[in-house]
Amino acid sequence: MPGITGHDGGDPDMDAGLLAQYIMNGLMLGMMYALVAVGFTLFFGVLDVIKFSHGDVLTVGAFAALATYVGLHALGLNSSWLDLLLMLVLSTLAMALLGMGIARYLVMPLRSAPALNTLLITLMLGTVLRESVRLFYPQGANPKPFPALLPRASIDLGAFNLRLDNVLMLAAGVLVILGIQYLLNRTKLGLAIRAVAQDEETARTMGINFTAIVLITFAIGSGLAAFAGVMNGLYYNEINFGIGLYLGVIGFSAAIIGGLGSIYGAILGGFLFAGLQTIGTVLLPFASAYKDVFAFAVVIAIMAWRPTGLIQEKISERV
Amino acid sequence: MAQKTRISVWPGVISLAIGTAYLIALLDVERQNLIIALLVFGIAAVIAAAWLGLLDSVSASFADHEDTLGGCAIIAALAVAAFFHENHFVLLLVITVLLYSVATLGLNVQFGYAGVLNFAGASFFGIGAYTSAVLNSYTAVPHLVVLVIGGLLAALAGSLLLLPVLRTRGHYAAVVTIAFALLSKTFLEVNDVLGGPQGMQVKGTRILGWSFNDNITICSVSLSFYMNYFVVSLFLLVGAFILVRRLERSWIGLNLDALRLDETAAGCFGLDIVRWKITAFLIGNFLIGIAGALFGMVGGFVAPNNYTFADSLILVSILLLGGIGNPWGLIVATIIVVVVPEKLQTIQEYRFLLYALMVIAVLLFRPEGLLPRPVRRYFPGWRP
Amino acid sequence: MSALLEVHGLSKHFGGVLALDELDLTVAPNEILGLIGPNGSGKTTFFNVITGIYRADAGSVVFNGTDVTNASGQAVYRAGMARTFQRSRLSLPLSIFDNIMIGNHKRLNQGLWFNLVKRGDFKRQFEESYAAARALVEVFEPGLADRLFEPVAGLPMIDRRRIEICRALISAPRLLLLDEPSAGMTHEETAELMNDILLVRARNKDLTIIIVEHEMGVIERITERCVVLNFGRKIAEGPYRTVASDSQVQEAYLGVA
Repeated sequence: MPGITGHDGGDPDMDAGLLAQYIMNGLMLGMMYALVAVGFTLFFGVLDVIKFSHGDVLTVGAFAALATYVGLHALGLNSSWLDLLLMLVLSTLAMALLGMGIARYLVMPLRSAPALNTLLITLMLGTVLRESVRLFYPQGANPKPFPALLPRASIDLGAFNLRLDNVLMLAAGVLVILGIQYLLNRTKLGLAIRAVAQDEETARTMGINFTAIVLITFAIGSGLAAFAGVMNGLYYNEINFGIGLYLGVIGFSAAIIGGLGSIYGAILGGFLFAGLQTIGTVLLPFASAYKDVFAFAVVIAIMAWRPTGLIQEKISERV
Repeated sequence: MAQKTRISVWPGVISLAIGTAYLIALLDVERQNLIIALLVFGIAAVIAAAWLGLLDSVSASFADHEDTLGGCAIIAALAVAAFFHENHFVLLLVITVLLYSVATLGLNVQFGYAGVLNFAGASFFGIGAYTSAVLNSYTAVPHLVVLVIGGLLAALAGSLLLLPVLRTRGHYAAVVTIAFALLSKTFLEVNDVLGGPQGMQVKGTRILGWSFNDNITICSVSLSFYMNYFVVSLFLLVGAFILVRRLERSWIGLNLDALRLDETAAGCFGLDIVRWKITAFLIGNFLIGIAGALFGMVGGFVAPNNYTFADSLILVSILLLGGIGNPWGLIVATIIVVVVPEKLQTIQEYRFLLYALMVIAVLLFRPEGLLPRPVRRYFPGWRP
Repeated sequence: MSALLEVHGLSKHFGGVLALDELDLTVAPNEILGLIGPNGSGKTTFFNVITGIYRADAGSVVFNGTDVTNASGQAVYRAGMARTFQRSRLSLPLSIFDNIMIGNHKRLNQGLWFNLVKRGDFKRQFEESYAAARALVEVFEPGLADRLFEPVAGLPMIDRRRIEICRALISAPRLLLLDEPSAGMTHEETAELMNDILLVRARNKDLTIIIVEHEMGVIERITERCVVLNFGRKIAEGPYRTVASDSQVQEAYLGVA
């Protein structure tokens, strides 16, 4: 993993360079988690469903990008930028289609069934996607190297090595999130999505095509997953079939912490979780592997304290 | 007011007999294409029976004569074990079915009756298993007691989650146990005291001075040492089954259903929601933990990789496939989920994928599962 | 004779909406009180507050001499209040008997040992409960009396309402809260239902009823006294004839002429 995973005790003062490195790691992770969390929150917003397969869509997206790369190289194309562009475009489009298919054939038919069934079916779907990658992608069970397609330049700021590719990815992530914000708040499509999220029936009576909006929303969310998957591959230079499950649970936890249905909450939750992991790494330098135990434990504790997330979901039940 | 005619016990007995014979055949056959043929035949037979309405009469028979048929089922299990008395592999498979059934019964109490989501079933199973490993290696606690402690520790671990479990609903509740599943697996992996990723060995079991790891010879008939574990597992399943049955067929079972179906209304009629959710969750975990503890002893070995989130999903799949809330359906589903991939080696690799696909199909087309849960009958065969 | 239920200054708001506005209300033992008012006047909210589903913001509720202000739903039930819901809330997959027994919670032994081990004693309590449930159902719909182990899901709406009332009555409550029991029924069905309720009350001298209704014929026929709510406040009180001709009440329902 790029950056420091842990350091053996000794120096009581936190080295400024080390601190900067931790912060950078935290930001990168937070960005990825936020992207996944925003997807969760979008699905929940329009359909009141938790699409547990979201993380595994990320995996498929990452592998689709990798497959694109392999294909491009087989064709003899060798430009990094072109590769990256095509990988992003193809995997995003492919995942958008996958997302729409999931919505159309698995989620929407179960709308009248108890919400639990949708939760379960998407959990199982996640397994199907994960296992399919493991079984059907050549050597899918093993971690696969992901090409480093971003410039490898870096700037030395004192003791801290600022990598250009990290900066680019952060910037790209920020742009994407800003783009989503713009889409939701400044466009007619965004307005339609928010209308559906708030009240399906009223939206329908206002002439909004409910099914189309749901499909589009799922397409956007899944496209986001693909982007996050590619980002993940570029960051770690490696992908494996289990990465989606892990990121999915984190993204889900992040969305929950931030309060389902709130984009800001999802972003907050994503960075919060990354922050928890970083704190965990710093607090337990002798066993940074415990960072996940620490982070998940905090998630559970937060759920005990605020059962519907930090930004409360407005649930009202007619009695 | 017409009196209902007495429902016969024979459909139940006959279906049990046929089922047992089929199972023995399936377990005995080695050649892959024979196995496939058997499976296809089995599926076709079940579909035909459903279409002919035979399944309904079998269900009615089981509903009215459950105690008798339960006894017959025990005899059937003994018959299977007797047939394979020297076969280590098959006996181990049968024991796995028995213990997974106990664990899923526990999950059923939590999920099927009380509506408490638990996606960390395998983690609590693992806690039981690790209890066996640690206590057997480092202490002289009698092994029967170790089993009980395994159950208690799993319940104790569950009580750590009580506050978030009680306060959350639906998908929020799901996060809590999923996070715990990931957390516990990571914890076991990084923790060197518990053997880290390689896990720990579980020393040989001795109960009341009888060693469980030596083959037995009775009247010149040689029995696999797994028979020891089989007997204890069968006892455990029978005990768990009776417990869960009585639980359901009581005011407590009614309370659990009431709070699952409509918590607000249940509260208006005096139901202590917190008390019963806690009771269901802890009883469920206790069963899961005891099964895990015994399973650890059977396998002789525990490792974090056996108790992952994916394994928890398998337990949930069994519940959904068999029919939520129906213990008989649960046992049938366990048999299918455990035995078929072991026999059909070609699909071993694909089993997670196949289970997931099956559950998706069930959720889309037959959400009640294989054997839907019937209306509560407090005393089988009771007529007013 | 002191009041069975005394409500003083009860207030409840939801965000900016004042649902109950310093409501004062008393109910005498054994009376049948009608609670009426236009939609949104706070009738169901009143039920929800006194049965512990919502917390009151101000005021007090005294039931049978005990202060039950903001007591839990469970405590209120144990004290002897039972209710039906505006939107039918039965557990559909469960049998008729099960649904009624949910209402019988305080009279059933809930101990683990009793339920799991002492099956003989449990069976006795089960059979007694079955007899009681059957007798009650027979009052409302004799045709259902032998079908107590059928799932409720298969029953028509009117039978479900009857079962819900049985669920509320099985524990012999002192105060029965009926929330629009006639909703979705024809006039004949409603009349029949009211007769059955009066029959139960005749057998059980101790029963007091508050009934929320929109069908004025019912109110006129079976209530002795009415309380009219508007915007969470009591605007009139008295026998139906009196409040029906009250100009404030007419204005509340029909608007200013």
